[in-house]
Amino acid sequence: MFGWLLEQVLGHLPTWLWPACAGAGVAVYCLAHLLANFPNFKPYAFFIKPVSAVVIIVSVFMYGGAGVTEILQAQIKAQEAKIAVAEQKSSDANALLAQKSSQHTKIIHDVQVVYKERIKEVEKKIDADCKVDPEAISILNGAAKNPLGVKK
Amino acid sequence: MKKLLLVCAILALTGCANTMTAKVTMTWPSTPPDLQTACPDLGQVDPNTIKLSDALNTVTSNYTQYYICKDRVDNWIDWYNTQQKIYNSVK
Repeated sequence: MFGWLLEQVLGHLPTWLWPACAGAGVAVYCLAHLLANFPNFKPYAFFIKPVSAVVIIVSVFMYGGAGVTEILQAQIKAQEAKIAVAEQKSSDANALLAQKSSQHTKIIHDVQVVYKERIKEVEKKIDADCKVDPEAISILNGAAKNPLGVKK
Repeated sequence: MKKLLLVCAILALTGCANTMTAKVTMTWPSTPPDLQTACPDLGQVDPNTIKLSDALNTVTSNYTQYYICKDRVDNWIDWYNTQQKIYNSVK
């Protein structure tokens, strides 16, 4: 939870803030160095110097980290753009395939209709000329049966 | 001050150390519902018929069934190869 909160806060801070903080830290450090020459301000300078040093160190570190974050975010954006293009390509390929599939199915059905019509045309003639032995039907049905059993 | 500058330089270098790479992956697309339909079993001729036309009708329907199923399998292969090519292009 704390990590997430920290990430949210740090992630939304602008990058320029860190060199600005580092610059301010350097300025305060130099000022404290000057103040140390005045006896009245010496105790303050003693306190301000380490604090400004810590500010400088943390700011410089965070500036480096912010740079890395920017690089990573740019990489993520580039990758996301590539993925969006790929997803569009994938969707287009699916649409093309669906269209091709429906065309093929229509052609196959149309051919079937033609052959069924041809059977109808000669139905009477072939049925009169040829009586099929039930044994032949049994063999045909047996061959058409799924050898792997009935599908569930 | 010199020591501070040295520490700053070291920290700047460690802060900039970038050993990570951003990895955003594409999800594998789901199969079109058309391709998920199983092929039905072949039709059977009425065992009590003696008409050749009945047998011919069933056989013709079975041929149709086969070609529809063949087309589905071909489309499956085509779909998989195309999607894999697209998927690999963003890896």
